[in-house]
Amino acid sequence: MYQYNQIDQTLVDERVEQFRDQTRRFLKGELPEDEFSALRLMNGLYIQRQAPMLRVAVPYGLLSSTQMRKLAHVARTYDRGYGHFTTRTNIQFNWPELAAVPDILAELAQVQMHAIQTSGNCIRNTTTDPYAGVAENELEDPRPYCEIIRQWSTLHPEFAYLPRKFKIAVTGATEDRAASQVHDIGLQMVQNADGEIGFEVLVGGGLGRTPIIGKSIRKFLPKQHLLSYLDAILRVYNLKGRRDNKYKARIKILVEALGPDEFRRLVEEEWAHIRDGELTLTDAEIARAKSFFTLPDYDANAANADAHASLGDSLATDIEFNAWYRHNTLAHRVDGYRIAIVSLKPYLEAPGDITDSQMDAVADLADRYSFGETRATHHQNLVLTDVREGDLYAVWQALAANNLARSNIGTLTDMIVCPGFDFCSLANARTLNISDQINEHFDDMDHLYDLGEIRLNMSGCINACAHHHVADIGILGVDKKGEDWYQISLGGSSKEDARLGKILGRSVPASDVALTVEKILAVYVDQRRENESFAQVVLRVGIKPFKERVYATAH
Amino acid sequence: MPLLIDQRIVTEDPWQLLDQAALDEGSPIPENGPIAVPIIWYRQHREALQQRNSPLGVIVNGDDDLAALYADHSQLDLIAIEFPTFRDGRGFSIARQLVRSGFNRQIRALGHVTRDRLALMQSSGFNAFAINDERFQTDHLQAFSEISVNYQGTTADPRPIFRR
Ligand code: HEM
Ligand code: SF4
Repeated sequence: MYQYNQIDQTLVDERVEQFRDQTRRFLKGELPEDEFSALRLMNGLYIQRQAPMLRVAVPYGLLSSTQMRKLAHVARTYDRGYGHFTTRTNIQFNWPELAAVPDILAELAQVQMHAIQTSGNCIRNTTTDPYAGVAENELEDPRPYCEIIRQWSTLHPEFAYLPRKFKIAVTGATEDRAASQVHDIGLQMVQNADGEIGFEVLVGGGLGRTPIIGKSIRKFLPKQHLLSYLDAILRVYNLKGRRDNKYKARIKILVEALGPDEFRRLVEEEWAHIRDGELTLTDAEIARAKSFFTLPDYDANAANADAHASLGDSLATDIEFNAWYRHNTLAHRVDGYRIAIVSLKPYLEAPGDITDSQMDAVADLADRYSFGETRATHHQNLVLTDVREGDLYAVWQALAANNLARSNIGTLTDMIVCPGFDFCSLANARTLNISDQINEHFDDMDHLYDLGEIRLNMSGCINACAHHHVADIGILGVDKKGEDWYQISLGGSSKEDARLGKILGRSVPASDVALTVEKILAVYVDQRRENESFAQVVLRVGIKPFKERVYATAH
Repeated sequence: MPLLIDQRIVTEDPWQLLDQAALDEGSPIPENGPIAVPIIWYRQHREALQQRNSPLGVIVNGDDDLAALYADHSQLDLIAIEFPTFRDGRGFSIARQLVRSGFNRQIRALGHVTRDRLALMQSSGFNAFAINDERFQTDHLQAFSEISVNYQGTTADPRPIFRR
């Protein structure tokens, strides 16, 4: 993974001191509240319902075991013993003290971590495919480009005060696991007719109160132009994005207002000034970035007959391990290895939450079995990307001992859920009680496996932090005269076939959410043809049959 | 209003900045000395302004159409860019485009110019900063060196880090 050099380290160290001074000036009354608010947000610090909330950056989701242990230490020492992984692959701490935040940042800086640009109206942490580098259907590893973007966007002097937040996702596989079409900029690696690999550039996607799928403004961008093109897009947005109304300030509104063609024209006009200038990436720089993401030292013997036999034995004798293997591990590019997903969706725990001891356990496993690295996913899980088949049983046992081995990846209970009213001051409704309700209602794993791949996402308000628009089943908390109600939508996707879900009908009370989901699933089971997924059925039959079942009046 | 140039406080600011409201009300243009006027006024009274035998500047903000200015600023000695609020960052991009178009005299930041943005402004091309009296403290001068690293390149050295 990318290793800081002295320059990177100097930057984060100086940033800690700068923020320490800003906090000091604010506490002394020298810095007005509204200015400090913008400054602290650019450093990941919110003021939330319970306490300040600190969001720590996990660039493109990649964590070393040393970093993971430091997060465990922060959770233990400065918080209440846990953290929360988000859809943006960052981690949030819900209970730090404002005055302690500079010290937390200083501790994080020791392991090359920080909270720079995890919030605020600036370019946020760039996200990518959690299986980058190991997935089978990959054109090229996107992480070197994420790192190049990270450096360009970190403390960018010109783009620190954008009209609104700005999110970039990069994907290098044919399967889009980075939700790139619902980002402000989605970069998809593609191959042109000459066999060169470059980027297709999508702009203006996003969720929130105005969900929109990104528009392609360039079918092929040669790699060396990556930064100059991004610079041009950001400059057009900085100058022309709306600043009068924060709900209309995202780039998606600008792209819609101008139309993608006019927006493209403006970008190309701006780009013409800079396209062959200083920002042009050199071959040496691309090679340097790539050098940090080379293949680990795979064991050439991993696929040997003994390993194979021992895995076969464990699979045959231990049905729980067998279920975990089938649902929580994936094929790897290298023979004898598998990708193992660490489920942060244990029964009746807040999705995405992880305790300090669980973080330590994952760090130990990463060291022992996966080259010391872990990835965070936008589904709020963790991944050990390089586990030898022969080690899977041991890994599973250790995960199970730490309540991290629920075999529910891809199923209904592998939900993305934002913290909702319990933690978030913007929430309209609680979410964590509803995820418990769904877990209790659907506690039969065989039933879940029979239902197959289903993505259920739930947000506590219109901001859509949990991507409810792009789920098979999306749940949105709404407030009706002080009571929690839930609006349900069906048929969304964040993958390469990205689409927004359709609202089923009037919202349902808190007590009926799981029951409603049950009715929806019953329609699916009735309607499905052989091997048809939930998504395929919704696409084929539309939402009408679901609507009829859910809102049928009792006879 | 303390003015910082070259990361130092200048005591003598020869420039008079005239605002649109005063001009609209008929306040006279000083006969001598450097003046800067809002770009709208400049466009309307360009010839008269150029008759004066003193340095001339314009004041712009993010709402102005600046394409013509980028194309033709050889007569100007100062361009002041207004930051109407703390959260309005259009001025950064305007300065960047101005430098790119070859303007190499004074680019002054006006309006919401506070300590925590000075370094960013300088990197984007500003070389003069007008700070409100109530907000000014001498430790502002340290703001320029708080972060010594920049990945992107600055106006002084436009090379991003990978070309240095
Ligand atoms: C508790 C503190 C949080 C606050 C105050 C907060 C605030 C917001 C706001 C205001 C928006 C809407 C922005 C806009 O559309 O312009 C938003 C969107 C979003 N947030 Fe959060 N959020 C919080 C936690 C989270 C968590 C826990 C996650 C992940 C689980 C998350 C991920 C996102 C995502 C993915 C979006 C969608 C942005 C888009 O595509 O348009 N946030 N958040
Ligand atoms: S969706 Fe709403 S309630 Fe949930 S975290 Fe985001 S802002 Fe808070």
